[in-house]
Amino acid sequence: MRSFKSLGAVVGAAALALSASAFAQKDIVIGLQCDRTGPTQTVGVFLCPGYHDYIALVNSKGGVGGAKIRALEIDHEYKVPSAVESYERHKKEGAVLISLYGTPQTQALTQRLTEDKIAGTSPGFGSAAAANGDKFPYIFPIAASYWSQAAGAVQFVKDKLGGSLRGKKIAYLYFDNPAGREPLPVLEALVKEEGFEMRTFAVPSPGVEMGAQVIDIAQRFKPDFVIAHLFGRSPSVSIKELKRVGYPLSKVVSFVWGSAEADIIAAGGWATAEGYYGLQFAGVGSNYPVLKEITEMYKKQGKAAPKEMASTVFYNRGVLIAAIHVEAISNAVKAKGGTNITPHDVKLGFEKIKGFTLGGLVPPLEINNVDHEGGGWVQIFQAKGGKWVKSTEWFKAYPTLLKKMLATGG
Amino acid sequence: MFDWGFTLALVTNGVLIGLMYSLIALGFVLVYKATDAINFAQGEFVMLAGFIITGMLLLAGAPFWLSVPVAVLGMVAFGFGLERVVLRPLIGRPIIAVIMATIGLATVLRGAAPLFFGAETQALPLPIPDEPIVLGPFSLPPGQVVGALLSLGFLAAFSWFFLKSRMGVAMRAVADNQQVAMAMGINVERYFAIAWGMAGIVAALGGLAWGALLGVDVHLALVGLKVFPVVILGGLDSVLGAIVGGLIVGIVENLAAGYLDPLVGGGTKDFAPYVLMILMLMIRPYGIFGKRRIERV
Amino acid sequence: MFHRESGYYKTSYAADMALYPLPIARWTVAAVALATCIAPFVLHEYYVSILNLIMVATVGALGLNILVGYTGQISIGHAAFMSVGAYTAANLAVRLDLPFWVTLPAGGLMAAAIGAIVGIPSLRIKGLYLAIATLAGQLIIEWTINHVPWISGGAQASIEVPRPTLFGTQLKTQFQLYWFLLFFAVLAIVGTLNLVRSRIGRAFIAIRDQDIAAEIIGINIFRYKLLAFAISSFYAGVTGVLYTYYLGIANYEQFQIVTSIDYLAMIIIGGLGSILGSIFGAIFVTLLPIVIRLGMENWGSFLFGDADIRNLIPNLRLILFGGLIILFLVLEPEGLNRLWRNIRSYFRVWPFSY
Repeated sequence: MRSFKSLGAVVGAAALALSASAFAQKDIVIGLQCDRTGPTQTVGVFLCPGYHDYIALVNSKGGVGGAKIRALEIDHEYKVPSAVESYERHKKEGAVLISLYGTPQTQALTQRLTEDKIAGTSPGFGSAAAANGDKFPYIFPIAASYWSQAAGAVQFVKDKLGGSLRGKKIAYLYFDNPAGREPLPVLEALVKEEGFEMRTFAVPSPGVEMGAQVIDIAQRFKPDFVIAHLFGRSPSVSIKELKRVGYPLSKVVSFVWGSAEADIIAAGGWATAEGYYGLQFAGVGSNYPVLKEITEMYKKQGKAAPKEMASTVFYNRGVLIAAIHVEAISNAVKAKGGTNITPHDVKLGFEKIKGFTLGGLVPPLEINNVDHEGGGWVQIFQAKGGKWVKSTEWFKAYPTLLKKMLATGG
Repeated sequence: MFDWGFTLALVTNGVLIGLMYSLIALGFVLVYKATDAINFAQGEFVMLAGFIITGMLLLAGAPFWLSVPVAVLGMVAFGFGLERVVLRPLIGRPIIAVIMATIGLATVLRGAAPLFFGAETQALPLPIPDEPIVLGPFSLPPGQVVGALLSLGFLAAFSWFFLKSRMGVAMRAVADNQQVAMAMGINVERYFAIAWGMAGIVAALGGLAWGALLGVDVHLALVGLKVFPVVILGGLDSVLGAIVGGLIVGIVENLAAGYLDPLVGGGTKDFAPYVLMILMLMIRPYGIFGKRRIERV
Repeated sequence: MFHRESGYYKTSYAADMALYPLPIARWTVAAVALATCIAPFVLHEYYVSILNLIMVATVGALGLNILVGYTGQISIGHAAFMSVGAYTAANLAVRLDLPFWVTLPAGGLMAAAIGAIVGIPSLRIKGLYLAIATLAGQLIIEWTINHVPWISGGAQASIEVPRPTLFGTQLKTQFQLYWFLLFFAVLAIVGTLNLVRSRIGRAFIAIRDQDIAAEIIGINIFRYKLLAFAISSFYAGVTGVLYTYYLGIANYEQFQIVTSIDYLAMIIIGGLGSILGSIFGAIFVTLLPIVIRLGMENWGSFLFGDADIRNLIPNLRLILFGGLIILFLVLEPEGLNRLWRNIRSYFRVWPFSY
């Protein structure tokens, strides 16, 4: 028994020390969900460091309104029960907002977030319908939902094919899971509106091989453009296989989770992927002032910039998510006139975000109490000469159609 | 209208990818054949081998001709060590123990590999040209051709090994009946270790072929899921069965994706082989070439 | 449970079989019951949420242990049965607006039916072959849910379910859900305790230990094997329903092979063929990542930098999880339950062990 007692004493002392330090600093706490070991770990290992680096940068400049920000990361392995556990932990620590991760996790926590009046963000995943702030007051799919991405992709294809899609053929190559099917309503509505022909090609999990699908695309359907919406290992496989069957990669545009540096590397390098287009909701590349500041911050501490920075697609997304969160918090602090903000204040802070672009890394979002997505902005980059090159400016596509669909809930 | 060109392309693709599945299945079959143990971590073996190769290439800056032998040696050592530490204590225990031990091992490898080799995706370029080989109506990707050739090479090598070499004959004796083999003076435990070591060799070259195709990170382990339909169809203890099973799975997958998907409106590719496998389990559980020694219940 | 006997005094089989071998056993059970009743009042909501997860996991682990631990069959597709229960209940709750006391047994029964079908190969094959057949069952069920919108409720394959309502109040908070889940966890524990002592339970154990002998003494193996699959899947289905109500959604992505492996790990680590072991296993596997995280957050900074800790926590969880499975299999195949019994039997004759 004695050992148990001493263990209890140690735990008690540690808890005491922890709570004491929390009182001394009065941090503003953000609950950060990550996935560094689950099925999307190749995203998490770059995105989460980006998030922490931006928070560290803000703190190194004195935090928000004098208070430091503490991002408490919990890795939930893409498991829903763990996500609920991590949410309760974040709530216990007094988190003013939750950075959600994963579509099923977002759906499971939507109800709880609404009941507890805590804002949660789901950038680039979750239900597209949640962009409607009337129906989902505490969910913010900041940046492009799958619906906006689909609209953006079709708009891009339309521009590339000379301004009209009538009589054109588009192949939709998608991962055969709920997230992969989510854009289908938008695409089908656009088929009617724009008069193009669409065929879908499913890639079932785990998607390590898709020879049949690409042969089907290149030899039978012969589309004018391919819109790809793949996850995990499958984007790189699609690049490699499309290249092999001789389909020009400059006629392929990928959704946001299929256009990272890692996908290009795994596909056999930049030379192989030359011409491939990728949709993004955060700026890509290292040519943004905020990234230079982060490098400077590390230099001041006598450290080299972390190697995760090289994977700019996901790292920048982490920076974008953190930046928007900090912006919402600072809006809340400003409105309240102090740092003792409540989660509800932060929710209102999100709804005031406007004209915050972080030197072009963040799209010109305009979030308000109805539009929790901020417009659905996307930007398209092309793999060219060893890096991602900007192909379009920020744009949003088919806003009236999306608005109509959001109002009816799809 | 039946599109012959399209079907031919599908079948060609199926043959190549099927032989690459066989490459993974071979390791599984070797272990089962000799030791009656099953390896649910076959995919993770392949992943580990891929990581060793890219680790040598990128982290240590070694040339290609050195990296691959190092991976082979590393995987053989890993197979020996694994057999000694984990699997030998489990001899004679219920099958669930071995299954769970290898699943546990798979989890450990997936956790440990990114810590040692880095979590980012690493490219594994083969030192051969990347352009497809065009042979008449066929357009063959060189990476997959290498994988398929490796598979066939292993088939030949193992066929010779089991039929002609002294060691192979002894291993067959061990597989047939461990007690009798022991009574005949065969060091059974030694052959268990050798079987795991051989599985390591296969995994090393599987890691090379699949790593070149997919890039190396933890997702590489996903190819392990492809093993089960292959080995059940071909027969769990047959080297030839692993090859034939791989071919069947590869071709069925491709035809399903080409002809079934448009009808169903979803991906049937990974689903079809499992349905085929269930049918095989009900009709002929020991597979096409497997030995008919399955215990009737 | 926590008492120690001073020796062996049992003189009849009835005494050996009794649920409460000694009066003090009754008191221990009462004390544990009291503790579970007080816990949600004194603990922070976060810890209550962990207890809730443990209770759901307990139901699933008990069910899997009936199949694997007691009957000696293998299923590595158990999570699929949970998804069957989850989607059955979710559809009934959302489309027909049925209350939980209808959807919960319905989910269980549907899972039992599907489980019995998946169990049919067990009549012909066993061991590895059965394992692979159940794996195929898992993938086929997953595929079906994913591709039949009538089951999955649309392309999202995710059905949002309103929280259960009891006497007109909706159970929303962790505190309220605690009592809801506790009721079913206790029901599952008591049910299993009685099941394994019954004719059916003894038949299961006979089949596990020596199936041919069991057949000779007149046990209908086919019937009991399918029954084991059905009962076990019933528990799994109920677990799925509990998850659905607790989490608020039915989603097939949370019932994939990883979850099956988690549950197998629970019964391996806890102890095959043991009820207490199932509970220990559920507690252990649920707490493992939480304890690792808390430990690393508090003491990891002595050894590592912040960024390393964040990378280390999830990977360490995988390494320890897999490592512990192997460790238990090699060193203590009967799991935590055996360790617990060893400690007890050591103290039973302590201090005069000879």
